[in-house]
Amino acid sequence: MIDPHSDRAWTCKEFEQALPELFERAQGGKLSADPRFAVILRDCPQAAELVRDLEYIAETARMLLEPEIEAPSSDVWSAIQSKLSSDTEAPAKVDIKLN
Amino acid sequence: MTQANTTPPPGLFKRNPPIAGEADALERAKNGDPDAFSKLYALHKRRVYTLCLRMLGNVSEAEDMTQEAFLHLYRKLGSFRGESAFSTWLHRLTVNLVLMHLRKKGLQLVSLEETINPSEEDAPKRDFGSRDPRLSGSVDRVALERAVGTLPPGYRLVFVLHDVEGYEHNEIAEMLECSTGNSKSQLHKARLKLREILRQNAQASLVAQQGELAR
Repeated sequence: MIDPHSDRAWTCKEFEQALPELFERAQGGKLSADPRFAVILRDCPQAAELVRDLEYIAETARMLLEPEIEAPSSDVWSAIQSKLSSDTEAPAKVDIKLN
Repeated sequence: MTQANTTPPPGLFKRNPPIAGEADALERAKNGDPDAFSKLYALHKRRVYTLCLRMLGNVSEAEDMTQEAFLHLYRKLGSFRGESAFSTWLHRLTVNLVLMHLRKKGLQLVSLEETINPSEEDAPKRDFGSRDPRLSGSVDRVALERAVGTLPPGYRLVFVLHDVEGYEHNEIAEMLECSTGNSKSQLHKARLKLREILRQNAQASLVAQQGELAR
């Protein structure tokens, strides 16, 4: 990988420092699949390890979106009902039973 | 209370498909049908609560903010025009309420950008030059969820909004009132910190297993 500002190859450290921007520009956030980084990832095993780990963390994070296993306690709904019932600004009086 | 911005983030449309029964419940709730509002609560309580819990890392506060979000929803339901998916709109409303809560809680006098930066001891260690054990394959969603909960608040916010919820850096920057560069940098530091936490946890678990075997 060539430093766009100086025309010379990046060092491993420079590559690691540029990772926030490189990850942002990478297709699907996958640097390791981009052939432009093949050489530096081969020559910098520690950086390659870091890239693999960070990609893995980002991939696993996407799995956290669904399904949402956590639910609020029933007290939350009771409090909402109570607030809405006493809220004079509410558009309608409510006496809601949770299904 | 300040009104939450309800502009939908475009990146979330594909992640929030319509839910069966939602459109009907929405229309009826707008007309004051209390059963329809309870249906909306039932459909979205987990999504809203999980988001609050991930952003705040605290059950009690997350429940309070879930309550706030649905009260806010009830009062603002009439302003939902259907220009985005309802879940997207509710999601953004919740994010903005949580951010307002965080600002009120301790960030009144300084900008969020300054205060979401963690202290030096919370910052991820820069370990250029050393070889690390590989993380891939050793972490499941439960372990990651737990690790995210231990992140410093600023890191956790950006990580949850970007990597879990799918917001773009420009959207996060707008929400957190920071630069996009700062959002990118915070995200990278959050991932580095998570890597560090996950590796420590994996190492501790390995040592515990070895101890069990040695008995």
